Amino acid sequence: MEKNKKGTVKSVFKSPYMFLVPALLFYTFFWLLPVSLSLIESFTSIDGGFSLENFKMMFDDPLFGEAFRNTLIFAVISLFLQFIFALMFALLINRNFKGSKWFLFIMLIPMAIPPSAVGILWNTGLVESGWINSLLSVTGLQNLIELLGIAEGPIIWKEASGLQAVFMIILIDTWTVLPSVMIILLAGLQNFNEEYSEAARIFGANRFQALKDIVIPIIKPTIITALLLRIISGLQVWLISVMIFGFNNVPFLLERIVFYTDQVRLGVYSYKLSVTYSVFVVAVVSITAYIFIKLTKGKDWSGTSE
Amino acid sequence: MNSAGKKTLFYLAITFIAFAVIIPMMYLINISISSAIEVNDFPKRVLPVLSHDLSIEWDDESSYYIISRKSFSGEYEELTYSSKFDKIETYLITYLNISKTEEEIEEDFIVARNTGDIIYLNYNKDIFNNFGKFFKVFDGASAALVNSIQAAAITILLSMSIGGSIGYALARTKIKGKDAISLGSLVVRMFPAVSISVPMAVLLVKFGMYDTMLGLAIIYSIPNIGLTAWITRSIFMSVNPEFEEASLVFGASKIQTFKKITFPLVLPAFAASSMYAFITAWNDTAVSLLLTNNNETLALLIYKSMGGSASIHYAASGAILLILPALAFTFLLKNYINKMWG
Amino acid sequence: MAYLELAALKKVYGKDIEAVKSFNLKVDKEEFIVFLGPSGCGKSTIMRMIAGLESVTEGNILLEGESIIDYQPKDRGISMIFQSYAVWPHMTVYDNVAYALKLRKISKEQIDKTVKEVAKISDIYQYLNRYPNNLSGGQRQRVAVARAIAIKPKLFLMDEPLSNLDAKLRVSMRTDLKRIHQELKTTSIFVTHDQSEALSLADRIVVMNHGYIEQIGTPNEIYHDSESMFVAKFIGSPPSNFLTVKVKEREDKIFVIHSDFELEVKNKYKKALKNKYINKEIILAVRPENFTINKKGILKVKCNIIEPQGSHVVINIFVGGEEIKVVSNILTLKTNEEIDLGFSEKIAFFDIETEKRIR
Repeated sequence: MEKNKKGTVKSVFKSPYMFLVPALLFYTFFWLLPVSLSLIESFTSIDGGFSLENFKMMFDDPLFGEAFRNTLIFAVISLFLQFIFALMFALLINRNFKGSKWFLFIMLIPMAIPPSAVGILWNTGLVESGWINSLLSVTGLQNLIELLGIAEGPIIWKEASGLQAVFMIILIDTWTVLPSVMIILLAGLQNFNEEYSEAARIFGANRFQALKDIVIPIIKPTIITALLLRIISGLQVWLISVMIFGFNNVPFLLERIVFYTDQVRLGVYSYKLSVTYSVFVVAVVSITAYIFIKLTKGKDWSGTSE
Repeated sequence: MNSAGKKTLFYLAITFIAFAVIIPMMYLINISISSAIEVNDFPKRVLPVLSHDLSIEWDDESSYYIISRKSFSGEYEELTYSSKFDKIETYLITYLNISKTEEEIEEDFIVARNTGDIIYLNYNKDIFNNFGKFFKVFDGASAALVNSIQAAAITILLSMSIGGSIGYALARTKIKGKDAISLGSLVVRMFPAVSISVPMAVLLVKFGMYDTMLGLAIIYSIPNIGLTAWITRSIFMSVNPEFEEASLVFGASKIQTFKKITFPLVLPAFAASSMYAFITAWNDTAVSLLLTNNNETLALLIYKSMGGSASIHYAASGAILLILPALAFTFLLKNYINKMWG
Repeated sequence: MAYLELAALKKVYGKDIEAVKSFNLKVDKEEFIVFLGPSGCGKSTIMRMIAGLESVTEGNILLEGESIIDYQPKDRGISMIFQSYAVWPHMTVYDNVAYALKLRKISKEQIDKTVKEVAKISDIYQYLNRYPNNLSGGQRQRVAVARAIAIKPKLFLMDEPLSNLDAKLRVSMRTDLKRIHQELKTTSIFVTHDQSEALSLADRIVVMNHGYIEQIGTPNEIYHDSESMFVAKFIGSPPSNFLTVKVKEREDKIFVIHSDFELEVKNKYKKALKNKYINKEIILAVRPENFTINKKGILKVKCNIIEPQGSHVVINIFVGGEEIKVVSNILTLKTNEEIDLGFSEKIAFFDIETEKRIR
């Protein structure tokens, strides 16, 4: 037998855990290090001692409250809207009607548009002589709007503020990310054994009852995955807001980070502030994700056997 | 309601939903090929406008040509007047995206002078004009394009090598802690890239990687490695080890087996995860905004191009350039997205 | 009046893919009907049309004299067992069985009573609180049965319910299904491609091929009196042997001539052969067990391959270049042993063109 000392050294290198070493190094240097750095930075004062003054500074940011509120409202409402619509469209496409392939193809287009291009797209629409007002005018809806007294003359979308602006951003975001939610739900539906809902319909359920009692509970794991990913990225909204309304007008938590890092050059203070915001966002995301998982977790029926 | 009626209603709804996606895109495309004059048109046209209807009138008194354009309402509105064909040439290309030579214009216009009638012309637009202009108007657009490709390539390299080896290990070896790894990749995703980027800027300056594409690619790889691991794992699992064993039994070496059997089988999936990595890098704006100074990516340049509405048609054509590769890759990936969540 | 009547039922997919071509069947109350045929023969399509899961292109379905084709599946009064069982994974066994009853707005006590009752019949009483993923295939199958009988259906549909079970379980489940049918006497339609399931369960079998009915009959009729070559070939294991022979008439006697043997036809088919088939080629069909061995046979052959099956042996023999299979209970036969082969009375003839029985 040749398995001597050399053999043991060799066996370390042959260990399957070696495959994980690059990842371990990568995440230590480029993830753990910056994350702990920002944690330390956010809890220390400029002279280096432990302090909560950064958080105090963040809470004192006049736009903090609005940014926090907007972020939560955005995340919750867009999640709800996107789930309902994505499920509806996924069910439609899953019916395999004539032309459903084309419909799916078209529905997936927005998903492929990079966020900054989405910004441009909706900017060309929301300016006063943009395509949204063009569309309203061409279809005659503009007359209706004026008749109902909603607005006099063309609507100046970019002057929207507060919750109105948040809702506009929600709609734009829904337009953009609906396909990515839909495609996950669609995959769930396509893996779903049709006989489950057929059985329900035979045993007395109408289409809606079959959907509510059978289809949705069975594809629930897929739904939760889709929505969890959605809520995580929903809390990270900022780009559309900035591209349409500019900084400081419709604040979000991430918008604050970018604002203090990119726009304000207050040296160490703005750095501290954006790091603190970052830590705060991570906390919000983690807590929301945790609550979401807790809320959606039902009885475990997935079982252990095969 | 009868079934024919239901069917009609169903298809009406489908068409309406499809239009909600198509119409904004159509407008964007049309704006991206709009000329400087058209940008200020109202209402905007949804179908691409590929030519202009012009009327030319010779004013004998002041001896110049009056050039008018047919508007949305069908009436001709005066644009400019001039007697010099080189000036007219410049005007047409600058304001109407019509590229005609001096000689061609002269040949057409002279009829109006000779006959004294108003003549009507239909000039085709140069639809690529704005795309060319985009690179001229925005400083460093071509450099940004190169940067974007570079950042994407490095991201692919990093995610594939690091993520691919995790995927292989998860699928083919008996390592423990698979749950920990998948939980880890979820946790990593929960930290917004923007949040990581802020402290990362300091580190990258220290490492000498601030304002480099390598620095960006590192951030892009953070969420992507987990994803790649996931895809490659499922692919390595789907390749039956018996295929490889059969090759070994029939006399191939391990390296030959990998080259001739395993690699061709996993190649499509590797292509798929590469495209994912590409899209992550290509689409990003936030990270490059925070981690670069002079070396912008294309997406960042487009983001910054949101200036006055006068140049929005150039920004739109830039946006189209940005969309095209992302669109192509997303559709190539469509089938894998399904498989991934399956 | 028939209990269930399928009248000129037709199903066309797309423009011209005819899955079912004018299907007529009358089923009596309490009958157990089996649709038997290879995959793609349209048998499942018919069942799904009865269930309302598939639209009817043409024709009608009458249950107790009433057309049900415009009814929703839930309003047809039927229950069904699916190939995949379709036992809902997110509900306990109890809830699976109770779901249909809850939708019928039955009182809680009554539901509880019914669930427990059917759980006992289908032998799943001890699993009522488990989730299906913790049950074996056979146990899930029983849950599907319990769920189906709980609603006391007018019609009980089963779509290849046993095909996902292993061979041993399949046989015992088969017996259980028959026992349940004998107890509850629910009119049943059972779809399968497995002939032994069909033979053992059915009151009547409907043999189907390419959307057509090949034969309707009791298991005995189907097996011993096959109407077409398709049925003769599809039923029986090993299936019927076919030999091409020529009909000859000599001195008022009818013979069928094969290169290796001549056989005088004395039975009831003599007249039919004489009328239409003199000097023509026809198919002689013999079931493997309808040969005689070493009992004044008509040809000498060698046993080519012998496959012992325990109670009997299957012998492969070449007759004029065609391979036939013979079942015998002489267990001592040896490979290459020469035997004296003869035919019993139970032989059948088929027209070579139409592949239909000559009678």
